[in-house]
Amino acid sequence: MTTILQVTGLTKQFAEHKAVDDVHFILEEKTSTALIGPNGAGKTTTLSMLTGLLKPTAGSVKMLNGDLRTNIGFLPQYPQFYPWLSALEFTEMAARLNGVTAKNAKLEAQKTLEFVGLGNAQHKKIATFSGGMKQRLGISQAIVHKPKLLLLDEPVSALDPVGRREVLDLLKGLQQETTILYSTHILNDAEEMTDQLLFLQNGKLVEQGTLREVRQRFDEQNYVVEFSNDQEAKLFASSSEHVIGCYVYIEIVNEEPTMKELLQRLSGCPYTIRKVERQTASLEEIFMKVAKKA
Amino acid sequence: MRGFNVLLQKEFKEAWRSWKFLWIPLVFALLGMSDPLTNYYMMDILNAVGNVPEGFEMLMPELMPVDLLQASIGQFQTIGLLVMMATFVGVISKERASGMATLLYVRPISFGAYFMSKFIVMSTVSFVSILAGFAASVYYTSILYGTLEIGSLLVSLCTYYIWLLFVIAVTLMMSASFKTIIATTCAFTVIFVGQIVDMIVGLFWTISPWKLANYGTLLVRGTMEMSDYWWSLTITIALTILCICIGIIMMKRNAAMAKI
Repeated sequence: MTTILQVTGLTKQFAEHKAVDDVHFILEEKTSTALIGPNGAGKTTTLSMLTGLLKPTAGSVKMLNGDLRTNIGFLPQYPQFYPWLSALEFTEMAARLNGVTAKNAKLEAQKTLEFVGLGNAQHKKIATFSGGMKQRLGISQAIVHKPKLLLLDEPVSALDPVGRREVLDLLKGLQQETTILYSTHILNDAEEMTDQLLFLQNGKLVEQGTLREVRQRFDEQNYVVEFSNDQEAKLFASSSEHVIGCYVYIEIVNEEPTMKELLQRLSGCPYTIRKVERQTASLEEIFMKVAKKA
Repeated sequence: MRGFNVLLQKEFKEAWRSWKFLWIPLVFALLGMSDPLTNYYMMDILNAVGNVPEGFEMLMPELMPVDLLQASIGQFQTIGLLVMMATFVGVISKERASGMATLLYVRPISFGAYFMSKFIVMSTVSFVSILAGFAASVYYTSILYGTLEIGSLLVSLCTYYIWLLFVIAVTLMMSASFKTIIATTCAFTVIFVGQIVDMIVGLFWTISPWKLANYGTLLVRGTMEMSDYWWSLTITIALTILCICIGIIMMKRNAAMAKI
């Protein structure tokens, strides 16, 4: 994979408060990275520095193979548009400001609006748009010039469940074509479309890696065995194992018991086993652990 | 000046669709026609309003056409400027505060192009407005009082327009530098306090942008001291350019204030 963006020691200090503190990460081409953190963690400040809106106190943002400003598309959390323009006029203007020729800008704008599902509303004034339509228009203005890097600040947090689903599906479609870095505090969304996770807390990058790597680091190796009744569960469980109803919770500590031992025990069990399941922590649970660790 | 053409088109569209090209010239036209009409029909108005005591007599001064033009310019200098500055003072600061500017600032545009596109559109609105104001004033003056010499009238119009360009540059510079409320206070203070100072010490302070409106009328009267005029004109143009440069720098510096 090719590295597209390199962030080194990124720091932003507002008076006494360090909003972003020595953040390092890289983004690989055509990957999707989620910047996760609670409110006030420094997500928006980080994105603002990446867009060039805020000047970092220290550190650098380097786009490899190109100029950063001409190669990014940005969608703020609450995008504001000129209400007196139509969707087509706004997207066309966005394309032209990013260097698309006047001749191609209209065509590209029309194509992009079709892609985000606003083809039928392209001539309507933005003043008449709903929140979901504005978010889609926001995506349209961010991608119309085919940027190498797409920066999205909480792209779905202000939307209702239907709008959220629509926008998430759109973003999934874009994953194949461009590199995406988006901030979110809705962890289900991050779980759905992420190659890399960056956990920010109090301005510091406290954890990073692929979803799989982070899971390996923070996931508890627990198994749940379901029996046909409570009695069998109690008879099967050893003294150190938790039993809740017909479920036995087996915790693996320091690789004890081993998988082989566990399978032998299960195969020799005289009771009816309905299901054996490995418990996977949700991103939310992992996030809580990361936050606690930090 | 990257993106200048696109931004200029956008600004013209905004001014057109928000009816600025209609209502601001209309305000100036109304101001322009008010003095010739009210002065000419003053006695009729007083009689129509009533409550004039019996035997009341009023001696009206004999007004020359240039007096009416001066009165009209006086109207532009108060209500006209107030309307224009109030309309334009938020054009940068409000866009920044609402977040509308964010989607422009993250693009590879030059801040000079963005500032100048706004300045040019406002200058055009102002030119149309002042043209409408002068036309209305001169039209009624020539019908009711007599004609004005067209050459000196055009020079007077251009002089007043240069003063308006200075007002616009100050207003935009304040808008780029501060939040809307502070920008409004600062812009109004600079322009109107300057006028008050000019009224108080104007006899001694003969070279300043605040003199241009009055010098425009003196040109029509033919009583202008030309060296004061040229110096005032030069200083006004220089200060206008300075305000534009400061405005562009402040716009760039305050880009981080744009709401995300």
